[in-house]
Amino acid sequence: MSQSAVADQDRAAAKVPAAPIGQSVVSLTGITKSFGPTLANTGIDLCVGAGDVIGLVGGNGAGKSTLMRILCGAMWPTLGSISFAGEHVNFADYGTAEAQRRGIRMVHQELSLCANLSVAENFFLETPQDAATRPGWRTVYKARARAALDAVFPGNGIDADAEVGHLSIAERQMVEIARAAATPGVRLIVLDEPTSSLDLDRSKQLRAFIRERAKAGLAFIFISHKLQEIIDIATEIVVLRNGRTAWQGQVADASIGRLVQLMGGDANPVHQHAVSAASAQDVLVRLSGPLTSELGRDIEIVRGEIVGLAGLEGSGQKELLHRIFSPDRKQNSEVTRHAQAGFIAGDRQKEGVFPLWSVLGNISIGALARRPALGLVSDRANREMAAGAAGKLRLDDSRFQSNITELSGGNQQKALVARALVADTPIILLDDPTRGVDIATKQDFYRLCNEIARSGRALVWHTTEDAELLACDRVLVFAGGRIVRELTGDAITESAVVGASFAQPADRLAAARDKDAPATRLGRRLVDAAPFIGLAAVLAVMVSANPAVASIFGLDLLLMPALSLVLVTAAQMFIVGGSEIDLGVGAFAGLVSVLSATLLYDQPWLGALALAGALAAYAGLGGVIQARKIPAIVVTLGASFIWVGLGYALQPTPGGASPEWLSALFSWSLGFVPTSIILIAAVALIVFVIDRLPLGVVLRGFGNNPTAMIRSGWSPTRYALVRYLIAGLFAGAAGLSLTAINTASDINSGNSFTLLSVAAVVMGGCSLLGGIISPVGAVAGAVTLSLIGALLGTLNVSSDFNAATQGLILIALLTLRSLTADRRSEQ
Amino acid sequence: MNALTAFSLWTQRNRWIWAAIGVLLLWLVLSIVTNRFSLSSLSGIILSASFLTIVGIGQMFVVTTGRGNIDLSVASVITLSAFVALLTIKGQDANLAIGGAAAILLGLAVGALNSLLVVVLGIPAIIATLATGYVLATATLLSNRAISGFSVSPALKYLASGRISGVPIMAVIAISGVAATSFVLRYTVFGQLLSAVGQNRTAARLAAIRTGPVIASAFIISSVLASLNGLLLGAYIGGAFLEMGQPYLLQSIAAVVLGGTLIFGGSATAVGTLFASILLILIVTTMQIIGLPPGAQDIVQGVVVIFVLALAGRQAMTRRAPVEPTDGDAAMSAGDRQS
Repeated sequence: MSQSAVADQDRAAAKVPAAPIGQSVVSLTGITKSFGPTLANTGIDLCVGAGDVIGLVGGNGAGKSTLMRILCGAMWPTLGSISFAGEHVNFADYGTAEAQRRGIRMVHQELSLCANLSVAENFFLETPQDAATRPGWRTVYKARARAALDAVFPGNGIDADAEVGHLSIAERQMVEIARAAATPGVRLIVLDEPTSSLDLDRSKQLRAFIRERAKAGLAFIFISHKLQEIIDIATEIVVLRNGRTAWQGQVADASIGRLVQLMGGDANPVHQHAVSAASAQDVLVRLSGPLTSELGRDIEIVRGEIVGLAGLEGSGQKELLHRIFSPDRKQNSEVTRHAQAGFIAGDRQKEGVFPLWSVLGNISIGALARRPALGLVSDRANREMAAGAAGKLRLDDSRFQSNITELSGGNQQKALVARALVADTPIILLDDPTRGVDIATKQDFYRLCNEIARSGRALVWHTTEDAELLACDRVLVFAGGRIVRELTGDAITESAVVGASFAQPADRLAAARDKDAPATRLGRRLVDAAPFIGLAAVLAVMVSANPAVASIFGLDLLLMPALSLVLVTAAQMFIVGGSEIDLGVGAFAGLVSVLSATLLYDQPWLGALALAGALAAYAGLGGVIQARKIPAIVVTLGASFIWVGLGYALQPTPGGASPEWLSALFSWSLGFVPTSIILIAAVALIVFVIDRLPLGVVLRGFGNNPTAMIRSGWSPTRYALVRYLIAGLFAGAAGLSLTAINTASDINSGNSFTLLSVAAVVMGGCSLLGGIISPVGAVAGAVTLSLIGALLGTLNVSSDFNAATQGLILIALLTLRSLTADRRSEQ
Repeated sequence: MNALTAFSLWTQRNRWIWAAIGVLLLWLVLSIVTNRFSLSSLSGIILSASFLTIVGIGQMFVVTTGRGNIDLSVASVITLSAFVALLTIKGQDANLAIGGAAAILLGLAVGALNSLLVVVLGIPAIIATLATGYVLATATLLSNRAISGFSVSPALKYLASGRISGVPIMAVIAISGVAATSFVLRYTVFGQLLSAVGQNRTAARLAAIRTGPVIASAFIISSVLASLNGLLLGAYIGGAFLEMGQPYLLQSIAAVVLGGTLIFGGSATAVGTLFASILLILIVTTMQIIGLPPGAQDIVQGVVVIFVLALAGRQAMTRRAPVEPTDGDAAMSAGDRQS
């Protein structure tokens, strides 16, 4: 194994063009990027030579991300140019795919892996050109993933077949770094905060790897807030500040102090707040149970103190904030809260702002949320209330009418603090509030926190910037989901926090999670088996009522009508795999049926042309949905009217005839197996094969994480077209089968398939969130559902109950699924 | 130029104006091209539009809760409610109170079921309401068999189709409903909470808004309005038939989107829904006057919905794009995907 790894690494190294050290790889000149009135980048020059390791530093909002996006082709600058080894490239022709072709890879801070795919498949997404459409193409990527991981992080123990969703954050980070480093032809790797979730050993391994590869001519841009790492690894340092280059020079001329100064002054919060208020021993929050078992005592948070939550990212700090915000109502819960709590989110876009509203609206909702729903709202009262809070924050109330998104990150954050102030809660929870905030605002912010605490409130503050912890009275250090250390007063130092974070093995949380009820796991397995159990039960009932069903002829008679639904289900499954739903798929099958029984029968050429046209229109719909980012449900619902309308116009009443060759396609017989079973199995097999092809992996990737796919250079519109084309082919086949089986057509014959196909897909185990294709389960589900009518007939129940039975089955399944699924994805 | 930018800013805040302009233009064209169009024919159109408006307002509440929420059960609720009205009122004015109560109860029950599925069990609204619709379809079939004959209570008939000095009573009902809805959306805490939940559900939750009850009430409002509409529509057409609610499914969504309510949630306009309802009925009427076959009418409606969405999708995208560069990470994120 290790030998092949070494060989592979050599090969990868050999693919790097023998660029003499120092030769220019890429250079950006005069990059300026404006967003409306604000300039994110102003005249920045950046030249990267082979073998350079450039440390890129700057406060949040200094323009690093924008610059790197431009470099990677994810964004075009307003002004400026880019050139590769002296060759000028027009930005109009420069996108993520072109950047990749030219050997630029970026490892993003928020990771860009598809969690529903295996490690090896994620490697494939980055370098698809080596995949051949033949069985076993995965082994190439498995070997490459193995080798790449071992080359960067020896002894990592990550399985190349493991689903990425099951890996820890640190492991995902390692996969992503290895993936970028292993890309053949790579010349420059941009690492954005690569060590934020790695422990010290892994971080050292990474730096050793960078040093070694840089000697071979590979260039790196290393972005980190950990300045000692930058000094350690970089050959050259670029400091950005307010979108401009503040300093650029050799690492020998830099020191941590100097860099901090260049980035915009002293970011260290001064601790002004003594715990004098702690004399008011008024407990607001109590933490106990397993959460605090490492400390051996409960933790009480009292009025007037600032409590910091520290530890590696994802060790349970955020969870604690949310548990304090909405505690379990159960008795002897680990977290109990004795007063109301307000929340200030740091991820403003996702968790903070209401983007349609003005600043005033965003502030006053804090108070409105705690009023009775039928109360009246007065603009003047809102304004007076907000003005008071804004005054404390030095937030200019002349901007109250501006839309919140027009404010800078710092001012948006002030508005969110104002929201918490007007809500006037004794407890305020802060979730990394200074993310993306400039240093001047940060200083304001620390001062404000002190004031708030002194006014008798308790602040619980989760931060990812260790330096900020110095502003706290007390720091709780997390590891593996538990509090492992409590630091107070002078004991709070960055090194003490870091030391405690790594002190505990990180597998505690995993162990705790594994514990979660075997009953749940059994339930989940039952739900997964539901389509098969259902099918077996339905068949058993029918055979016991009428033994003739078990004959070949009987089965064929029963299952042939199911074929059309199976085909529509296959179509729907690909749409659902892309996290959309098609409400027009049944109508489309109906239209194809009408076309084949009328035009195709009378004038084969015209008919074939019309079918091709319908298919193109269907695929085009997918393109429109993707390109305009509009909800697929409404579009396909609208389209269903178009399909039905076309069908009516062609054939106002049921009729027509099936072309002979088409009937022949569905009426051959092998004698010993029912034809319908062969055809249904063939559909499942075709879906399975498509899904296992590289194409299927790409489609599933888009269903799970489209952002990551776009970053890897895949075109979303093209694959939306492909997805709908495949679905259209299956739905079209369903339409043809309707004509052949009924030997006539009716535009309404496919209508009932729409909901049934969604139900079958859900029964089959696909998630409506997308990214999962499960051919066998969905086909079994489709067959079961289509047998419901016959089953009710066997049981002498009126066919009126058909729809209700199908609807109830869908509701029951979704209910079971939501009860057994882990609820993490819901938030 | 300055007036133009001022106007475009104003239209951004008052998106209903486009539907109103559409109504005006189409009506002008129609009255010039055909000499048959008069104020009285407009009042007929407004009468039909009133039914659509009532369903549309309910749909608007659901759409405004965001995350692509849509109530697909309205069509079945309308049909079932018309049948229930026949069964309970039996053509007698004396039974009117029972019929009204039955309609409201039906709406409450369906709304509660939808809320249970969507809010408590976390099932996507589209699937949940589609499934409820199927269960209701069976109920409709059963009540269809139980019906002995079509007869409508005279009072209800007068309510649904009568006029007071030429103005349809239904129009008065619909317009008062629109006025009340506008007030609720703009001046009550509930309206603000609804908008907040629709814009950003996580932020709403963290701002201490109890999102569950807010979303549930939107589904209940939608079902109750659809149910009342079924009661009145049945009285208007003088009976009930299977699939009678079907056209209202797409049309109610179209009315909401066309009226300027954001399909992504968070911003609703009742006046826009009213004008868009009139516009849609005008379009259908125009097609009937021209003599297009029913199939072609379906096609035109489908095309209008997709076309308007494609235009509106662009608008929403540009407006939602973060203007602010300092928060880098949001700039290229793929937008608010459902999760």
